[in-house]
Amino acid sequence: MAYPFVHPDETRVLSKHFGEPEARTLAGWEARGGYQALRKAVEMGPAEIVSEVKDSGLRGRGGAGFPTGVKWSFMPQASGKPHYLLCNADESEPGTFKDRELIRWTPHQLIEGCLIGARAINVQHVYIYNRGEFFETTQILARAIEEAYEAGYIGKDILGSGVDIDITLHMGAGAYICGEETGLMNSLEGRRGEPRLKPPFPAAVGAFGRPTTINNVETLCAVPHIVTHGGEWYRQWGTEKSPGTKLFCVSGHVRKPGNYEVPLGFNFREFIYEMCGGPPEGRALKAVIPGGSSVPILRPEEIDIGMDYEAMAAAGTMLGCGSVIVMDETTDIVKQVRRMSDFYTHESCGQCTPCREGTAWASRILKRIEDGWGSEEDLDTLLELSENMAGKTICTFSDAAAAPIVSSVQKFRDDYLALIRRGENLAASA
Amino acid sequence: MPDSKKNPGFAGITGDFKVTEAEIRGTEYVGVRAVDGGHASVSGTLPFQVASRGASDQPLFEGAHGERLEKILSRYEDPQGALLPALHLAHEIRGHLSPEAMDAVAERLGLSPAYVRGVASFYTMYNLQPLGRYLIQVCTNISCNLCGGDEVMRAFLKHTGIEPGEVSEDGLWTVIEVECLAACGFPTAVQINERYFENVRPEDVPAILDRLRKEAPEMGAPAAPTGSES
Repeated sequence: MAYPFVHPDETRVLSKHFGEPEARTLAGWEARGGYQALRKAVEMGPAEIVSEVKDSGLRGRGGAGFPTGVKWSFMPQASGKPHYLLCNADESEPGTFKDRELIRWTPHQLIEGCLIGARAINVQHVYIYNRGEFFETTQILARAIEEAYEAGYIGKDILGSGVDIDITLHMGAGAYICGEETGLMNSLEGRRGEPRLKPPFPAAVGAFGRPTTINNVETLCAVPHIVTHGGEWYRQWGTEKSPGTKLFCVSGHVRKPGNYEVPLGFNFREFIYEMCGGPPEGRALKAVIPGGSSVPILRPEEIDIGMDYEAMAAAGTMLGCGSVIVMDETTDIVKQVRRMSDFYTHESCGQCTPCREGTAWASRILKRIEDGWGSEEDLDTLLELSENMAGKTICTFSDAAAAPIVSSVQKFRDDYLALIRRGENLAASA
Repeated sequence: MPDSKKNPGFAGITGDFKVTEAEIRGTEYVGVRAVDGGHASVSGTLPFQVASRGASDQPLFEGAHGERLEKILSRYEDPQGALLPALHLAHEIRGHLSPEAMDAVAERLGLSPAYVRGVASFYTMYNLQPLGRYLIQVCTNISCNLCGGDEVMRAFLKHTGIEPGEVSEDGLWTVIEVECLAACGFPTAVQINERYFENVRPEDVPAILDRLRKEAPEMGAPAAPTGSES
């Protein structure tokens, strides 16, 4: 048996070498065709790389799904000042564990993607902002970076091309909000990781005031493959608007948790039941979160949809970063939503009042309901509170915090009411 | 934990896996890095395991540690960019961030002490108080919670006999809850100092604590900043 669970119906492009320890060494990576894409990219030149990535239709894998080639084209031409590429490896969305596995098994795939990305947008210095907790995987990536420097893939005059690109590995220090791109820039600059107002957008005024692009680990890992085989090749998978493959992280009440790579648009029900084995024996599905804790919950009857950005949006939720959290019939939805809410309360950076106060109040109300002291009016209060949180702050953290609350109150109202009634009955009989 | 069938890097299902724990963790490949941080590009990452946690009164940023700070500073156009890595380094040397350590960082980077404290207090990984030798962080966020994260947390508290955030009397343990560790497919995820323990069940807790107790004396005194591997 290979890497935890590999299903024959998977399309393994990025995750092809998961579970092969030798793939993480430079020699092992070169033996698997590594750094050929970089050689090609150096000859291609920036405009051609950007155009190829645009043709591929690759969309940002960090959650927002913005087309990567278009994002790159926002960067100004060489301005004589430093430009930066930041790789967002601050993976901290609950339910997500793909970037850690990409770094752990294929660090050179990420390095190559960073170098090609830097070449495409005339960047001389790439920062990989790695999550602070990832001591082990960071050491693997650090060793790989050292090897790539020694081999001349990073540094001055890469492969004799006259192009200089440096990579620096930067560790975060434990703050969810630093995964937000402007929070990440502030954190890199040695500030509190508080998000910035946009505009100005990072491509104009980014890290250290310089033109900056921020890409997710998985996005950059896809780039070498696109450069090698071409944008058209990448479009053989996925849908018209969501091309390519994507890693999905499956966790919770499921028989075969882990990372699975499938083409976007894959049927969600088939994915959960066939590929991941469905919920444990004899238990029915109760709810699924398709894209990390920040997206609305789906009921079992809503999962006959494609796993792509458009189909998820049509179903009233989001693909997010592809973090599928499966909950079976034993799940106490109110408790889990309260736990998510506690998380957002803890991680709110505190800049904006609706978020700072809203998350804390939501947690307290949910706790009250969970403990049996709630009333039906509390549910209206929660919805009203959520409405005042969404879309009223600097970043979308507040929207993310509200999403599970609103969707659970709407879709699992009976679970809330059962706790409220039980509490009322207990009080009446006391 | 020493269950040959159970692969600590992989999900809760036992089976015959091809790769060993060392291969998953990459320890064979990575080895031990020098105190001076190795190549400047990666000098901001911890070359030493946080095992040296437990206070040291050596001057901060001298010898090999000083070299490491210089390397870190060389990677940012504004010295303020080196603040997070510099705080990590001070934390590594001292075991936590005391006011004195934060002031030293402020002085070296040309920042005000109040600013540095403001930043340090924003991030959860900077501990402003001394900790036990082992900082046990149990994920109780949604994916782990669905699979029993709360019970694992209670088991750690029960078997160490402490409350969350306390240091045990023997100085070995501090147990806290942590937010998602990005190991959701391997619940419950527990981070103990630099190391991840995945797929932990409440009944695994005594064995994990025993293993750590045995390892504790070998960790010895905090590493001296000599530039040599130790």
